[in-house]
Amino acid sequence: MNYLHPERLDLLAREYALGTLNGGARRRFERVLRQSPAATLAVGVWMDRLAQLAGSVPAMQPRDAVWQGLEQRLFAGTADASSTAAAKPSPWRWLAEIFSGRTLGSALAGVLLCVLVLRLQPGLIGMEPERDALPASYVGLLVDAAGKPTVLASSRRHGRQLTVKLLQPVAIPAGAVAQLWALPKDGSAPFPVGVVPGQGSAQVALADSSEKLFFNVTRLAVSLEAAPAKAGDKPSGDFVLSGHCVKLW
Amino acid sequence: MATTNDDLARLLARVALRDRAAFEQVYRATCAHLLGVAFRILNQRERAEEVLQEAFMNVWHSAAGFNAAVATPMTWLINIVRNRAIDALRSGKTERGSTVALDDDAMNIAADEAQQPQQLLDESLARLKIDGCMAGLGASQRQAIALAYYRGMVHTEIAAALGAPLGTVKAWVRRGLDKLKSCLEAAGMSAA
Repeated sequence: MNYLHPERLDLLAREYALGTLNGGARRRFERVLRQSPAATLAVGVWMDRLAQLAGSVPAMQPRDAVWQGLEQRLFAGTADASSTAAAKPSPWRWLAEIFSGRTLGSALAGVLLCVLVLRLQPGLIGMEPERDALPASYVGLLVDAAGKPTVLASSRRHGRQLTVKLLQPVAIPAGAVAQLWALPKDGSAPFPVGVVPGQGSAQVALADSSEKLFFNVTRLAVSLEAAPAKAGDKPSGDFVLSGHCVKLW
Repeated sequence: MATTNDDLARLLARVALRDRAAFEQVYRATCAHLLGVAFRILNQRERAEEVLQEAFMNVWHSAAGFNAAVATPMTWLINIVRNRAIDALRSGKTERGSTVALDDDAMNIAADEAQQPQQLLDESLARLKIDGCMAGLGASQRQAIALAYYRGMVHTEIAAALGAPLGTVKAWVRRGLDKLKSCLEAAGMSAA
């Protein structure tokens, strides 16, 4: 069955979003969803419509045990797993700890430059085929002022996920997020891709397939924003990181 | 809601950075609404709270997958909770309306039962100012949508609840959703 025929897709997407798609049909459609940007978008549109019907549902305060159980299950073993709000450290303390020894200001000062990397570790962009060749992917390497590689971004050509790996921590001030932008070759306005973490790695869900988003993109950059950018937003300030975006095939 | 979608988007971005304080803020701002959604479907506080907890574990682990360019935070959260609740409902088949533990909640549940899905739908439509537009639908069509959305019922269950043939119910749901789409679009509230 061709799930992606537009009319059939819309019928499946709406029944899935509503919940009336059931049993094997539901599971099969979930598999389609994982692979098809078109299906994800179709479901998203219906979810947005249906979510408006939730406004009238009477709120119901969960018992305290729900939050406590959540903390236990997620954070048991860490120091303040059962701490209460009163004992909780400031939200940004962990950031300060990460960057202890340097100030946030100096860590961010004068960042800008770029470098091009074509070589990356197999496995960084997901499962490798048995042969050695890397799969067709878009790859970006963003560097800081010293030219030091800082963010590695990669996505399979037809994938809808961008893998972001921080090669060194980035200082993200309190109340800000590190917003990743794509800069088209023709010099038109940057468009938002997603939000990147200050350290570690993350999977960023893309609004469309890499091929559609990045086909004409030659550079990626990161700016600090007060909130994650939505489609149509523009960077509010200078880029703190930037680099080339290249096709790996 | 005091916390706007922009606030939530900002907080979810912090959750993706493993910010536990932001995670708690997201939970505090949305848990009562989300528990209400799960409770409508499961009709048992305990199971609804389990679903809420599992949904928030999911939120913690997959906050990086939230993209403000694709969905609003509330749509994303409601979606996680509803899918979890529907899975729980269908795997636990289904003790709806059967025994409820006689604790403090028994009274609330009895009162909530009186508030039928139809009424929830009517309130939502009025709030969205599309009740006039949706009045073009028959009562059964609206009821079919309400049972599917608020109770997580599938076609066969709706058919049994409304005493209508399965094919008719499928057509009602389809027409109901078509109408919802066109009414939302006419009101300028379409997501697309």
